[in-house]
Amino acid sequence: MPILQVERIRKIFGEGALAVTALDSIDFTVNKGELMALLGPSGSGKSTLLLCLSLILEPTAGRIIINNEEIYNNGWTNVDVRRFRRENIGFIFQGHNLIPFLTTLDNVALVMTLNGVSDRDARKKSIEILEYLEIAHRADFYPSFLSGGEQQRVAIARAIANEPALIFADEPTASLDTERGFKVMELLKRIAKEKGSGVITVTHDHRMIEGFDTVYELRDGMLVK
Amino acid sequence: MDLAIKDISRHAGKFIATILGVGLLLTIVFIMNGIYRGIIADGVWLIENTDTDLWVVERGRGGPFNEQSRVRMDMYKSVQATPGVMQAGPFIVYAVQRELAGKSQQFSIVGYDIAIGLGMPGRLIAGRQITASHYEMVADKKLGLQLDDKVRLGVHDYRVVGITKGAVDSGGNPLIYLALPDAQEVLYQMDNQAIYASRAASLQRLLNAGLSQEDAERMLPLVSPPVDTISAVLVRLRPGEDPQLVKDLIEKWLYLSVFSSDDEKNLMLEGRVKRISIVLGTFRILLLVVSIVIVALIVYVLTIEKIKSIATLKLIGASNWVIIRLILEQTLLLTISSFLFGYTMAVLLKVSEKFPRTLYFLPFDTTSIFLIMLVGGILASGLAVWHALKAPPALALGG
Repeated sequence: MPILQVERIRKIFGEGALAVTALDSIDFTVNKGELMALLGPSGSGKSTLLLCLSLILEPTAGRIIINNEEIYNNGWTNVDVRRFRRENIGFIFQGHNLIPFLTTLDNVALVMTLNGVSDRDARKKSIEILEYLEIAHRADFYPSFLSGGEQQRVAIARAIANEPALIFADEPTASLDTERGFKVMELLKRIAKEKGSGVITVTHDHRMIEGFDTVYELRDGMLVK
Repeated sequence: MDLAIKDISRHAGKFIATILGVGLLLTIVFIMNGIYRGIIADGVWLIENTDTDLWVVERGRGGPFNEQSRVRMDMYKSVQATPGVMQAGPFIVYAVQRELAGKSQQFSIVGYDIAIGLGMPGRLIAGRQITASHYEMVADKKLGLQLDDKVRLGVHDYRVVGITKGAVDSGGNPLIYLALPDAQEVLYQMDNQAIYASRAASLQRLLNAGLSQEDAERMLPLVSPPVDTISAVLVRLRPGEDPQLVKDLIEKWLYLSVFSSDDEKNLMLEGRVKRISIVLGTFRILLLVVSIVIVALIVYVLTIEKIKSIATLKLIGASNWVIIRLILEQTLLLTISSFLFGYTMAVLLKVSEKFPRTLYFLPFDTTSIFLIMLVGGILASGLAVWHALKAPPALALGG
């Protein structure tokens, strides 16, 4: 069952003679529980594609359908886009991007409270998620007191807290050593399998994509399977 | 989840330091305001306390508080004889600096006729009024004197028979009340050397005028400087009398200037108080602006420090209101906490009575400062809000 359909996406920056085509005719589908890896050298368009899929950058042409909802074609405002992102997409960043003034528990609970879940329920569920990811013993720690691997596990906990249909992971192992990188990838595989979210991972590192369902490579804005 | 509170509790030291800094600036604003109001209150207190209808002073002078006024002592009897006058009493006031209670202190001496009672001490908190015609005084608490203390002024000792609280001149200096003859003696008392020099000068003037040595020495007592002048005559009118009529009579027949108590107050406020109020007002405005700028800068810096977190919040779907609330709440907490700290410090300073000037905090002033800080802080945080809302969510992506 497809949860993300990308149809003939194009993204052109600038106009006329200065126009640069960053993405050209991108087509792919991600199904529930599918793990997709997106490879490509710097400047290949990975970040642009991720920004488009994250609903931050509007494509010049083409359609994005998430959970059977066509984005940008319903007269949506920025508020609608942000709400949709909040309810349907989880993010894992290269630099973890945990909120430094929130504890581990609060970082995870935050995304739920943004969706209207009460503080109490959010905290209860956050503990469960942290236990699932085996990081509950660090619930009251601030990010600066966690190791890189621990921070990334908290970031994963935050990404799955709202049980999103899609999880975007932008270079999730870039700031980790190989061993911790493999552990994070194993975790993402487990989440895709057990939670049913579609996971799209952008990475440079070919070693990390073993066991992924689909692997695409971007070359000069074109997608190659 | 209250992100502002979470951030503040994580960076409590930074917030407390800011609150202390801005709060102390606001303490200065409150104190300047308190001094300004205190100057007005002090300036008119002595005028109000005398409880008279008219002030008769030297012709063409705006005395006795704004400039020196010298009226012949016996003139109060002529004023007393003016139609419409119920009571007239001599009054003298002058500033001195003497050693009192073991330290050099500046204060004003008020002399009044104790039999007539016009101009007698107010705000008596201990002891009694002066009843003896000599060598008794009523002193303000600020001078550090106690009842029955003996104080040397000039060549005599004066016994403290009453203590006042808040009896001050227009400069905020405490008052000492003496019977009129004592006050005049303290004012005009000269040491032997000064008397000798004054006599020698007067004798030389008489000799220069062509008098013989014998005639000049005989005339000398007549040309000695007067020692029985007063600053003003205080007048209380008969009930129903027209003050303007009495004023005109005194000015026409006694060749003196007359002011009502309201005129005196206006002279005081327009003269001595106006300039200092402009100075204090300027400083108050500057300090308020500085306080608001500091709050704005701190909030802006705190926002810039969090800009990646704000971008992350946007990316994970936080609404603009969540971000605006984060910044506004911090601004409000900084502003309100600084205000409360500043106000508390100012009140503690006033209550401790350690501050050398009279401080008055009016609810209107306090509310105004609060509202100015609040509105100023909110407007100033607009820049931080604008910056935060402009931060692209894409900032959260990448390394």
